[in-house]
Amino acid sequence: MDALVKAQNLSYKINDKKLFQGISFELLKGKALHIQGENGSGKTTLLRMVCGLTKPTKGDLITQTDKEVCFIGHKNAIKQYLNVEDNLVLMNLSNHKDLQKYLSVFDLDKSLDINIANLSFGQQKKIALLRLFLNSSDLLILDEPCVGLDTNSQEILVNFLKKELANGKGIIYSSHIFLDFDSDRLGI
Amino acid sequence: MEIIKFEFLKLLKKSRGWLGPILVFILIMVAYPLTVEVSDVELSQSFFSILWIAALLVVMLATEDIFLEDFSDGTLEQYAILQKNLSLIVGSKIFVYWLVIGVPISMLGAIFCVGTTSESAFGYQILPVLLVSTYIFMNVFSFGNALSLTKGSVLGTLVTLPLLLPLLIILGKVVVAINFDLNYSGFLFLLLGILSIIIMIIPMIISYIIRTHLE
Repeated sequence: MDALVKAQNLSYKINDKKLFQGISFELLKGKALHIQGENGSGKTTLLRMVCGLTKPTKGDLITQTDKEVCFIGHKNAIKQYLNVEDNLVLMNLSNHKDLQKYLSVFDLDKSLDINIANLSFGQQKKIALLRLFLNSSDLLILDEPCVGLDTNSQEILVNFLKKELANGKGIIYSSHIFLDFDSDRLGI
Repeated sequence: MEIIKFEFLKLLKKSRGWLGPILVFILIMVAYPLTVEVSDVELSQSFFSILWIAALLVVMLATEDIFLEDFSDGTLEQYAILQKNLSLIVGSKIFVYWLVIGVPISMLGAIFCVGTTSESAFGYQILPVLLVSTYIFMNVFSFGNALSLTKGSVLGTLVTLPLLLPLLIILGKVVVAINFDLNYSGFLFLLLGILSIIIMIIPMIISYIIRTHLE
């Protein structure tokens, strides 16, 4: 099986303070990897490294994907002063064939003309998650994807991720909320 | 073209982002003749100084959060991950800001010039100079704002302000040339030359600075 991500002996330092060191892992197609650790242990930094945003202080990291990775982080990348519809245009999702389906699933189809600032945190998170649900990437990187989501939405997310794994995609995620699907664990 | 469309959508829907600077410019231009007790001749002589300083300050104000919002909400992060051409995005953003803010204040500047100075032809002559100089101001201040992106202050902009002093000297020379009815096209071409270099280099430098901030 081909590895989507191969990391060897990764280390990261901030101002001479070691955040983590000697991290090695491999992510194969159709597999998920759950990064576990306490607050401030470097989970987000490691995920950002896989995305290519942060460079490791030491070690090698190789990602082999056909398309760009899909990253859902702490920042939603949506505009508070725009309505849902305009945000979907900016996210390049307004013409996606499955958009209506997921808007209905998340009960957002009647909120298209509402400004993001007037939506709840959970609803804003759902809009950010549309980027994940309508992606075509081989590699999904999720940093605390369940924060702000209700139980029903968490279940929709888990079912979607199971389907994506079955389709041969790779998932690396960190979550303090239990996500019920098979995944390898990496503690940092 | 898609990037320009997106930037237009963002800026036009954020009315305080473009309307505020334009109103400040109008306020300065209207307040100036009202607040000084001078004759028409003196007014027309000192008008251009006020015009350049007003344009400079308004562009500085307009570009205050040109990248901050996209940086804070994670949009720039997504652009970097999706391996979009960050230089092109930065260049498009500056262009849209100039089109929505720089062009109107240049036109308003020319209109105020007709109303305040003795020669109405000055308005037509000063318009191309204003258009080019506001675009240069936009680029230089955007560079300053990118420098202080995570500091949340105007420090970066103030640091870049001295870079514009040579430009202000050239603009002063243009005004002298216009006043004496001399050919000022040489200065205009010089400004265009500066602009053509700046619009190539500054977006590249800014994209590098942004990537460093994202790291």
